[in-house]
Amino acid sequence: MAVDVGGTFTDVVAVRDGRIETVKVPTDLADSARGVLAGLAEIGIADAAVFNHASTAGLNAVLTRRLPKVALLCTAGHRDILDIGRNWRPAEAVSDPRWQRSFSDVARPLVPRYLRRGVDERLHPDGNVLRALDEAQARAQIRVLGRCRVEGVAIALLHGYVDAVHERRLRELVREELGDIPCAISGEVSPLAGEYPRTVTTVIDVMMRLIYGDYTARLGRGLAELGFGGRWHYADCAAMLAPVETAMARPSRIIFSGPAAGTTASAHFGALLGESRLICADVGGTSTDVSVVLEGRPVVDTQVELEHDLPVSTLSNAITSVGAGGGSIVSAGRAGEIRVGPESAGAAPGPACYDAGGTAPTMTDACLLIGILDATRFMGGRRTLSYARAEAAFAALDTPLDLSRRVQGAFDTGLANIAEGILDIVIGNGIDPRDFVLMCYGAAGPMLLPAVLPLVQARAAIVPPHPGLFSALGLLSADRVFMESRSRYVQLEPACAEMIDAIYRELEAAVRAQLGDDIGEAVLLRSFDARMVGQAYETPFIDAPDGPIDAAAVAAMVARFHDTYERRTGNRFDAVPVQAVTFRVRAAVAVARATFAGVPVRTAGSAEPRRSVTLSHLAGGPWQAGEYERAELLAGDVIPGPAIVREPLSTTYLPPAHRLTVGALGELVITAEPRA
Amino acid sequence: MSIVTTASPDLRALDEAAFAARYGADRFTCEVLANRGRYVAEHICTALLHRAFSPIITFSQDFVGAVIGAPEAGYPLTAVNKGNVIFLGSLATGVRTTIEEFGLDRLAPGDLVICNDPFRVGNHVNDMCFIRPVFHAGKVAGFVVIRAHQLDMGGTVPGGFSLLKANVFENGLVMSPQRLFHRGEPVREAMRTIIDNTRFGDLLLPDFHTIHACCALGERLLVESIGRYGTAAWHGAMRYTVDAAAAAMQDAIASLPDGTWTGEDFVDSDGRDAARAYRLQVTVRKQGRHLEVDLGGCSAQSPTALNATALDAQTAVALALKLVLDPHTPFTSGLYRDIDVVIPTGSIASAVPDAAVMFYFEVQSALVNAMLRALAAPLGSRAIGGAYGSTNLHTGAGTTADGTPWFSAAELEAQYGAWGATDSGDGNNHCGLAMLNMIMPAVEDIEPRVPARILDREYVADTAGPGRHRGGAGLAKQSVFLAPGDHYLVPLHFRTASGSGVAGGGDGRTGGAWWLHVDTGSARVEGALPPVDDFTAAEPVAGHLDGDTLAPDAAGEFAFFGRLPVWQREAGAVLRWRTNGGGGWGEAYTRDPQAVLRDVRDGYVSIAGAARDYGVCVVGDPDEDPEGIAVDETATARLREVGPPREHTPAPAATPDCVAGVHLERESVTGACPACGAQALARYPVLSEGGWYRVLKCQACLAAVERVADDAGPIALKSRLV
Repeated sequence: MAVDVGGTFTDVVAVRDGRIETVKVPTDLADSARGVLAGLAEIGIADAAVFNHASTAGLNAVLTRRLPKVALLCTAGHRDILDIGRNWRPAEAVSDPRWQRSFSDVARPLVPRYLRRGVDERLHPDGNVLRALDEAQARAQIRVLGRCRVEGVAIALLHGYVDAVHERRLRELVREELGDIPCAISGEVSPLAGEYPRTVTTVIDVMMRLIYGDYTARLGRGLAELGFGGRWHYADCAAMLAPVETAMARPSRIIFSGPAAGTTASAHFGALLGESRLICADVGGTSTDVSVVLEGRPVVDTQVELEHDLPVSTLSNAITSVGAGGGSIVSAGRAGEIRVGPESAGAAPGPACYDAGGTAPTMTDACLLIGILDATRFMGGRRTLSYARAEAAFAALDTPLDLSRRVQGAFDTGLANIAEGILDIVIGNGIDPRDFVLMCYGAAGPMLLPAVLPLVQARAAIVPPHPGLFSALGLLSADRVFMESRSRYVQLEPACAEMIDAIYRELEAAVRAQLGDDIGEAVLLRSFDARMVGQAYETPFIDAPDGPIDAAAVAAMVARFHDTYERRTGNRFDAVPVQAVTFRVRAAVAVARATFAGVPVRTAGSAEPRRSVTLSHLAGGPWQAGEYERAELLAGDVIPGPAIVREPLSTTYLPPAHRLTVGALGELVITAEPRA
Repeated sequence: MSIVTTASPDLRALDEAAFAARYGADRFTCEVLANRGRYVAEHICTALLHRAFSPIITFSQDFVGAVIGAPEAGYPLTAVNKGNVIFLGSLATGVRTTIEEFGLDRLAPGDLVICNDPFRVGNHVNDMCFIRPVFHAGKVAGFVVIRAHQLDMGGTVPGGFSLLKANVFENGLVMSPQRLFHRGEPVREAMRTIIDNTRFGDLLLPDFHTIHACCALGERLLVESIGRYGTAAWHGAMRYTVDAAAAAMQDAIASLPDGTWTGEDFVDSDGRDAARAYRLQVTVRKQGRHLEVDLGGCSAQSPTALNATALDAQTAVALALKLVLDPHTPFTSGLYRDIDVVIPTGSIASAVPDAAVMFYFEVQSALVNAMLRALAAPLGSRAIGGAYGSTNLHTGAGTTADGTPWFSAAELEAQYGAWGATDSGDGNNHCGLAMLNMIMPAVEDIEPRVPARILDREYVADTAGPGRHRGGAGLAKQSVFLAPGDHYLVPLHFRTASGSGVAGGGDGRTGGAWWLHVDTGSARVEGALPPVDDFTAAEPVAGHLDGDTLAPDAAGEFAFFGRLPVWQREAGAVLRWRTNGGGGWGEAYTRDPQAVLRDVRDGYVSIAGAARDYGVCVVGDPDEDPEGIAVDETATARLREVGPPREHTPAPAATPDCVAGVHLERESVTGACPACGAQALARYPVLSEGGWYRVLKCQACLAAVERVADDAGPIALKSRLV
């Protein structure tokens, strides 16, 4: 059983006897635990062995600044790091004097300045003490926070990742002065160099303890009342599953879990199809999230950026978000050109065709006018779309183009924006898209993504079963993962073998301590992040040798670094010494995964369209397209484009000069027709 | 005689056929290709940022990436990344100059051409231009460019940030246009020339290879796009994106009333002469759709490294107009089309050989400020407050107790600071100057490399320019050095306020720089650190300071940072900075009392400052009980009724004595203007889109009768002899 709580909808997915059941319900914004429990009660959870949970509640709290009152204790003189960040502006604000940093004191700070208090202390970068901790001064600062009735305290001191001695003592002082309120120290939450990301991560961690702590308790009680006795996990930013106690010990890990699950769902479904190289695209109402699966595994970053320059250090499926989705607003630029996004009509008022007050045209309106969407069957028939409203919205645009060029321009521009996002991540990963298939999901994914195929040159586009709830299926496609990491700047030379050996043994012991009953099944994997001396950025996730680390193992680490660097960048600098930065150990334990029942192979006849629909406003059109019901398709069916395939919550658009083949698991495989 | 126009096409009015005829593709394709260029520029920069070895590139992001259009289109700058505008402004003309001198027909696929001469490509010698031709179907279809600050280019001091360099020979190595890579292979003699003449060659060399790889990536991506959409569409799209920017600026200029406005700002000193400041003066004239900015009155070029070239002046002038009139259109060289800059030769903003050009960005900062002051009147409530002024650069080098040499450049000064407020809100406390968009290196990145500890980096109460929207706050920054060293300090804007208030707002307070000393024996500091507002034991470096307290005071004595050419300091030296506050917007006595209360709670404004500067009476103890403070409504009403005290902000510093200005003589020409009939024609050089022109313009209505490209401009390069 899995539940993915989004900002608009909550997706509930259950796998019973190999069959997938899905429920999509509106998110209860007032009390999302209540909504989750209602959904679970409806579908029945008493007999479930596993309950996996993802939620955007934490992320939404940050984005809307509906945050608990958390204070920061930092090294005296450095409290304004949370106003400064890394100082730079986003591309759109390079020459904008009215730009304000989103998290700064003049805009919307995470922690107001008066709750950021400096403590007299200072470490050297090697962990030695420059100034001793002044406990009397620290207590006075903590008492001020007490008078302000803060709900939690984050402690992040300079060089606290090297030695957390002062941080630990401060935490004791907080306990003595303020009692047992949530309190985290940076040396434990995120022991990585770079005071700004570490400070943000520590602050977010405390906030997430407050947001998810109470929620988890309420959910736990509700689950018990529903008779659930299985294992309960949260999914993290890399869609790895963490037992609820592990997640609550470091909840910054779960802040951005929903989108990551889609990548993991793709990896799992791809593995079932024998596809290990995937470009994953999740088209929602506001944006398209793009990610990559390489050799069967999602590409992972070491940070996730919540807003421009607001990073949280945690392993995260690398996702690029483009402001183009079904609800993206179409507008006319000053040269008369058609623009799409980044503004979105959202769920309310929604696209103009919803006839719910929205007057701006959107991608959904374009698809309705083209004929891809059926006005009477949207969202399983729950909503009737207004063709007239959509047309009026396009007519109101201030551009010399005629209606057809407007609609076509909107559709093509939206596709081009999505294609740019896909290309962005393709280039970022240095991959050739011709070796990759494009996984199309999210409610609007099958409607838009197949037409992107010629722009991105992927080998094929695949629409999986349940495309609208596919991300939630990722929660039933993941491993339970335990991990520990530690930063230590070590130039990789034979003399440091012993030190590295000790670090790995210490990390492995810490992971084993978390494993509990899983210890028998788990395989421990080592990796490290490293760079060449002089570089500031690391090359992450280089495999490290197993067994004792001796001089030969260190030499192997150096060689693996240079090979990995050359593979990822094309440059090789053998003469430059290599410096390890972060050592990592992880243990993955398999959890029962979703299976897909598949569809029977067609033995007689062929797929027949229910009717023919006219597709207008498209290049080379109008086109007559066959309209098919997905539920009637059988494995082996081949459909020529243009065509439309309908299912209750999604519509797949098969462009002209493309063909669709139905696979054994019911997936729709779309490829360009070979050129005549 | 007839009128010569630079007017841009009305893109919106073009029907599809006319559009396609003009740009070789439909609007959609042009937009796609324009976006593609920007995205390529961003990608090559991300790759370089993550792979570079030089700290100034990888920690500070002191570089940009750009896409330049084809030679036959005039080398337009079509796409840039989110980097330093100072690098971007001079790129189009700089790349054209470099490639034409090198020889377009000598270029081969896989070449990387370099040039770092400020007189050819603007900026300073450290900012090397790396130019990769984009070959498609055997022809140069454009260029991928990275311009990146090299940690050292030789010259008298490590890193180059000394104001006292007197000429090009002391300034650093000049590389005239030449190849660094040829057909994908390194040109070893060029590399050796650089490495033999510079410090830190071990860092520069791998960066050259990485930059080459990044430019090659950019070329590959562009060639794929050209292949897909066709050559005609590619060239048309590049013209389109530049035209779109030109048209946007043209419309923005039209929003200004006709008139003539002047503005000025000052750079404190050239580092040698304490008595005289340098003036940056602009006269902005707008008539109909024409706009001209005359830099006449700018002080003569300096005998030190405080100089900029005309290309840098053009960047600053156009950027200032863009900030206030058209902030969101992507930056291209089309921005310059309707801005004629009249530049006298040999000013501090238009230096000629053999001047040392190093601190051009300080000149640009003052020039932007002069422009914003000139435009404040016509803009009214749209005017924006001034920023913190100077990057206050520091360079230090020395040897630690165990004999290890250390070096630090551009990371221990107060390089960033406050912005001015605007009609839409308070100013940021901490940003780069308008021309800069760099990353601030982390304390934890600096301290493992440099024997210094950054002790404070915190805003100071009552330094922001008061206003209905207040400016950003001044910053106090202190670092203690744990090893002896030689320090070069270049604070250039403490003599007068940089953060001008607008629309009734007050100026931000000026700051300064000081040395202090603490005992760092056994690498520990015992007891309290010097409080950032206690100056009693300080040695002044820069700023107008009170004679007794040595605290900043506009009426006080001016401390001259150049009285020592090098500040030699022992271990335990503490370098203290306080930056200027940003300018306020609107009458401070109309600021929402709750916003003032929040500022008091947050320590941006003191209780006394709230009463004096804002007419708001706050009661309580903001330090000990920040949530217990409140606005005394009755007392506030009384204060606001009386209005601000006459002397509620310190008197501004007097206008300093300045190095004499230079002017450009316009040659009078007999004849009537065909546009307005006035007998007021004159001929003179201007800098505009694509470089220098000799224009014949009516001085009454600014219409042009002649506009002839003048490649050479007024700068005579000695190497033309070759």
